[in-house]
Amino acid sequence: MDKFRVLIVDDEVDFVETIVKRLRDKGLEAEGVHRGKDAIELLDTRDFDVCILDVRMPGMDGIETLREMKKKKPSMEVIMLTGHGSVESGIQGLQLGAYNYVMKPIPFKDLLKEMTQAYERKLIEEERSLKPDGKA
Amino acid sequence: MERPDVERTSGDHGGTKAGHVVGSNMSPWRDICPYAPSAVLTASAVPLGLTAGWGAAAAVAVMAAISIVSIHRLMQRIHSLDQQRHLLEEQIVRANKLSTVDELSAGIAHEINNPLAIMAQEAQWIHHLLTNTGLRDVKEAAECEDSAAEISLQVNRCKEIVHKLLSLARQMEPVYQCIDVNGLIDNITGLVEREAVPRNIEITKTLQPDLPLVYTDPPLLRQVILNLLMNACQAVDRDGAICVATLSEDGYARISVSDSGCGIPQDILPKIFTPFFSTKPEGKGSGLGLAICRGIIERMGGHISVSSMEGASTVFTIHLPVDNRPQELPSSH
Repeated sequence: MDKFRVLIVDDEVDFVETIVKRLRDKGLEAEGVHRGKDAIELLDTRDFDVCILDVRMPGMDGIETLREMKKKKPSMEVIMLTGHGSVESGIQGLQLGAYNYVMKPIPFKDLLKEMTQAYERKLIEEERSLKPDGKA
Repeated sequence: MERPDVERTSGDHGGTKAGHVVGSNMSPWRDICPYAPSAVLTASAVPLGLTAGWGAAAAVAVMAAISIVSIHRLMQRIHSLDQQRHLLEEQIVRANKLSTVDELSAGIAHEINNPLAIMAQEAQWIHHLLTNTGLRDVKEAAECEDSAAEISLQVNRCKEIVHKLLSLARQMEPVYQCIDVNGLIDNITGLVEREAVPRNIEITKTLQPDLPLVYTDPPLLRQVILNLLMNACQAVDRDGAICVATLSEDGYARISVSDSGCGIPQDILPKIFTPFFSTKPEGKGSGLGLAICRGIIERMGGHISVSSMEGASTVFTIHLPVDNRPQELPSSH
């Protein structure tokens, strides 16, 4: 498996801790933060390929964070994560350019599969932007 | 087919009769080719007037009949070509309209975003002045603040519309990934069920198990199916059923979303994919959801259609090419 860089943003401290451990165990470069604002700040200094972003967080919520992320790092793929399914925010997230929207709890291997697909998409887009005519 | 008939008739009867019969046989063509009968009659009358033999008259009649038949075929061909042309014209007009809408909306959206941002800022400044300066003691201060708040609210509404317009107009090329469409549908219905189950709406799936993997843009397709399912939930409201089905069909994956909801009246059915067309109360829907869906599906080389029975059901059907990736030249790596 390709070694890509993952950012986890969720206010549930335990969830972040465990998932970061498991991702690192898979050989991925993983980082976790607990607030949308922290995530945006981290993007100033570091690059990630895929972000797992919780929709409901105190302070800056997931949708708002997504909006800022897409302004800063449009090529980073974002997978929205939520405990309580809200279809409206799902549509909104996708319209704002999220790769997917998954429900907690999601089995680790399924999440990993989603992240791999999201990363694959990022690679395709990067390859495309490198071509002189800008088309696939 | 006309040939033996005319031949026999003209052989059995007098020349004038032959002319008459040919003439009456032609009456069905009169509508299609009004000038033909008189032309043929004139042509056959000339040799008759010269008292030529029956043979000559028969030959003329036969030739006349043949030419009428060919004219008829020609007319049919022209008619069918005309229909095809109309169809093509309609498609071109729609494609042009779509790209005009795309360009226009992108332009308008960008132009409007800046003034909107200024308005939002000014409304915030008014709010600040009203709450933090001597103005707060003026007796109309509360009313002014209400007005400022309303301005902010409406500006936000405009921003939402502009944002949706931009996503409609976004000229982005789909990123094709090979995916299991059934899996994608399972994932989305899982999400929608959380909204549907409390309202006693049952979501059933009839997914073809061996549906081929499809090269498509997963986030875009998700957006479309999620949107259709949301519409279906709204149409049903409470106590009903939604069915999602997939079927492989001649190089296409067919995805349908049907609901047992209120249905769509026939007279508005053709308009539902038009941008800004909405039956929802003012402010509740932008009228862009289905327009975006159609834009996405057509950009991926597919098409979307709808059929509905008022008061009973609505079915949205998507046809998506299994492999619509742009043709690439063999690359060196």
